[in-house]
Amino acid sequence: MKYNEKIQKKGFYFVLPTLIIYGIFLIYPMLSAFHYSFYKWNMISESKYVGLKHYIRMFGDRRFWNSYLTTFHFTFISIFIIIILSFLLALLFQEKIMLKNFFQSSIFVPVILTMVAIAVVWQFMFQSTGVLSNIFLDIFGINIKWLTSKSVAPYSMILVNVWKITGYYMIIFIAGLLNIPSIYYEAAKVDGTSYLQRLFYITIPLMKNTFILAFVSGVIFSFAAFPQQYVMTEGGPARSTEVLALLIYKQAFEFTKFGYSSAISVAFFLTLLVFSLIQFRIFQSESNY
Amino acid sequence: MVVSSFKPTSEVLAIPVNILPKNWQIDAYTNLSNYTEYDFTRYFINSFIVTFFAVLLAVILCTTAGYGFAKYKFKYNNLIFIIVLSTIMIPFQAIVVPLFILMKDLGLQNSYLGLIIPESLTAFGVFLMRQFFYSIPDEIIESARIDGASEFRIFWTISVPMAKTAIFALIIFHSQWVWNLLLWPLIIISSPEMRTIPQAIALFSGVYFTPYPEQLAISVLGCLPLLVIFMFLSKNFTKGITLTGLK
Repeated sequence: MKYNEKIQKKGFYFVLPTLIIYGIFLIYPMLSAFHYSFYKWNMISESKYVGLKHYIRMFGDRRFWNSYLTTFHFTFISIFIIIILSFLLALLFQEKIMLKNFFQSSIFVPVILTMVAIAVVWQFMFQSTGVLSNIFLDIFGINIKWLTSKSVAPYSMILVNVWKITGYYMIIFIAGLLNIPSIYYEAAKVDGTSYLQRLFYITIPLMKNTFILAFVSGVIFSFAAFPQQYVMTEGGPARSTEVLALLIYKQAFEFTKFGYSSAISVAFFLTLLVFSLIQFRIFQSESNY
Repeated sequence: MVVSSFKPTSEVLAIPVNILPKNWQIDAYTNLSNYTEYDFTRYFINSFIVTFFAVLLAVILCTTAGYGFAKYKFKYNNLIFIIVLSTIMIPFQAIVVPLFILMKDLGLQNSYLGLIIPESLTAFGVFLMRQFFYSIPDEIIESARIDGASEFRIFWTISVPMAKTAIFALIIFHSQWVWNLLLWPLIIISSPEMRTIPQAIALFSGVYFTPYPEQLAISVLGCLPLLVIFMFLSKNFTKGITLTGLK
């Protein structure tokens, strides 16, 4: 018994390096973000304690709220489209279709590509002389200002995001579909149900967890969007695509307002935290039955 | 259907409608060397070094920690695991400023180490490895102990080889993630010769308001390593997603 206990204790040494490194480079910086958010600091002069000033300023800052709403808008519309689209694609790929593997990999390829590179390419396509604009001009006779119009640019961002990550969720849904025992479908077919009935009464309820998982990870991923906005619009036009990550970056490294930037970081963190806790709750109550 | 019509490389090259494709294709690539202030070869080497070591470190940390959490019952095992796992909820964007200050204080600005360490952290990887090690029967480890093998030897010669699938999935996903990162290199790297590829592409395309074929050329090149890996391992990719995505 004594001997065994000694061995069990050795497990701690396996965990220790991770604990130390995560502590220093993840947990400590997160705590310091809270700390810095109470200080006025620009890296050059002495830091000064300002209390809740940054937070008060943040709540009255229209640029912050604009950015906050932009991020929500970007995230939720993206996720909504991505989940529906990838689910439909997964259903489609269950059927026997021509060149299935080719289409499947084509849709998946954007997932592994570098976001920055994708952004550069899309920037070309979105140009007034680019491919997309020309196609739209030919078909509809209108020249869409993909990146220069305040009302269109956010949707152009969503389009790129959807294009980039739909393939990932498609694979997840395909795997989810494979997990459903085919016996259910066979039984339902015997009972004379239609395809849509089977879809709504068997497939979707059984894939609830996959949907929730896709939703959670999708939100976390999209909420943190940065490269595409940085490359394609730099937050413009008229700050219509200035997402939170970009604002944090700008406040700190362009305007050297490290304290204020930290306050925004804290708000960013807390939003995602609240969000993941709600999700976690739903997830737990769902898996109970 | 924009999505399916997209076969990246060929599509990329087909984009500028008003230029004859055959003429500029090679030009754009050879012209890259004319931009003397951008040493793209160097950036590729940087990206390779950073990706390799960040993934290596990630694998070391995730497998050891995952193993420790899954196979030992030491004091506060669960508590420590929850602490490590909860770092999943820390978005990287939220800690960039303090992390930058920390790295600056440690003198790791503009260094490989400054890039590698933060990019090797993945609490998700720890979670993945822990789940995987759970599935290895305790009896195998016990019998090795009776044979007198040391704990580390059991880990290295028995457990790690059994976790190959999970480690492989971790390597694929993490290397893709590290290779593509933009925000952290932008912040921690200010000296030109330390730039990574995504950073170089972003800066290169940011300087000129009118896009040039050269920007597309470097974008294509920047994606190439990942595409090559994907072509060889596409099966493992999808297997990896289902392993990492569905738990």
